[in-house]
Amino acid sequence: MQVKEVMSKEVITIKRSTTLKQILKLFAKFHIFPLLPVVEDDGRLVGVVSLRNLINVFQSGRTDMLKAVPFLDEQEEDIFKIEFSEEVGNLAMAEDIMESKFTTVEEDTSLEEAYKQMKLHLKEEIPVVDKAGKLVGRLGIFDIIRYIFGQKGIIK
Amino acid sequence: MNTILGLGFILLLGLFSARMINRVKFPAVTAYLLLGIIIGPSVLKLIPKDIIVSSGLISNIVLGIIAFGIGQNFSRDNFRKVGKSVIWISILEACAAWILVTFIFLVILRQPFYVALIFGAISSATAPAATVMVIREYHAKGIFTDTLLGVVAIDDAWCLIIFAISLAISQAIHSHMLATAFLIRVFFNSLLSIFGAFILGGIIAIPISHLSKYLRSQTELLIFTLGFVFLSIGIAIWLKLSVLLANMFLGMILVNINKSSFNFFESLKTVDSTLFLLFFVLAGSNLEIAILNKLGLIGLTYLVFRVAGKMIGAGLGAHISNASKNIKKYLSLGLVPQAGVALGCALIAKNDFPEVGGMIFTTIVATTVIYELIGPLCTKYALHKAGEIFIEHQNI
Repeated sequence: MQVKEVMSKEVITIKRSTTLKQILKLFAKFHIFPLLPVVEDDGRLVGVVSLRNLINVFQSGRTDMLKAVPFLDEQEEDIFKIEFSEEVGNLAMAEDIMESKFTTVEEDTSLEEAYKQMKLHLKEEIPVVDKAGKLVGRLGIFDIIRYIFGQKGIIK
Repeated sequence: MNTILGLGFILLLGLFSARMINRVKFPAVTAYLLLGIIIGPSVLKLIPKDIIVSSGLISNIVLGIIAFGIGQNFSRDNFRKVGKSVIWISILEACAAWILVTFIFLVILRQPFYVALIFGAISSATAPAATVMVIREYHAKGIFTDTLLGVVAIDDAWCLIIFAISLAISQAIHSHMLATAFLIRVFFNSLLSIFGAFILGGIIAIPISHLSKYLRSQTELLIFTLGFVFLSIGIAIWLKLSVLLANMFLGMILVNINKSSFNFFESLKTVDSTLFLLFFVLAGSNLEIAILNKLGLIGLTYLVFRVAGKMIGAGLGAHISNASKNIKKYLSLGLVPQAGVALGCALIAKNDFPEVGGMIFTTIVATTVIYELIGPLCTKYALHKAGEIFIEHQNI
């Protein structure tokens, strides 16, 4: 069984220029924040925004630059006390907060291999791309479990 | 006290002292270093001898891990992202400190060339922890802040290259070679140090990249990455190549051949903090207080001319890359702190040149403490002057 047969093809995506305000509006009615793919006009996947990246908005400094820096103290940020101007919602864009290094899986990968990758990288969901790196879907652990339950006849 | 009991105390005291020093807005590395000095053989003598003896082992492991992480900077993507100002400023501030400190130690302090060169090379390092802490504390934002972060993130990579070249030259000079033989040896040593390390890094990166597809869990990923980093450190020591360069090249090659390489670097973060704590405490404990009073002039000269070199180099880099006036004037003030990379290089020098190693290492530990204490103030001043933080009712 290949990933493309089990994945969800309907994925909410955003562009590099989508603002923080627009992202928050998009998920205003959601209880959880999903892994949000950032795509170019041609559909190429260039980044992902996760809940972790939203929390990073509270931190100053370009955190992506500091990944290779040793001995940094972990930042303790009291998100309840931090002062923000309203402008941040319009100024911070997906490009500023997204993760540009992320794990993906190709659509023709076997489901077993995809599950192994997700388990290895502790991912609950993962973007699915084609050979050209274009986003074609999204695979969640629940999609895989649902497929197995279906196989066993527990669900039709 | 037995070794394991000593390790337990070091870890817990380290944790406690880092929390305490964080309250007065200094980074944890300063706390570890001061703790090491206090509980070390020069003051309270609380660290078991076995642990002191294993300083070399721990520092080699830590330096290997640091260098491996620094290698990540050399991705095509990263170079495109940081921009030309960061690249020019970081290269020139590192090189200017190297050249100026070497020159002053040679001409004014009349130190042997190989000693001057080692001091010069170590002076090119910076330590971002204190700088980043101030940026975060005051929520600094803007072009100046971004440039400063880029420079402190990348410049230790240049330091590792500068140190490897300087060490190769110093070793050749130290072995008192005749003129012709000397030049050949210097050339050969430098070449071997860089290309040997590059080849070793490349050879080890290939199996890491290819075998990683067989990994099944985070635990396996950590063991696998650590295993290969140790392998690279061990082979570099065995072949007498630079541990720092071999691991930096390993990280560099890996990040360019494997698009999921960030997972290897991430996995090490689960264990590196403990090793870093031990490294800094042991570095502090290796400070020889007895020779400290003889090092006044050397220490002061190093303190002043390292910063002067960074100012000249950063100013020149900013000028060449057409950076803003604020960057030209104030950026170098964010480059004052030094810590891990400088201490690591000093430990290597201590092992390679035992007769002057104590003097080099003690100078670097003592100046590190001073730089780490004044560094945050300098960064705060620079960010304030650049208009990227606003400090109310405070004297800076």
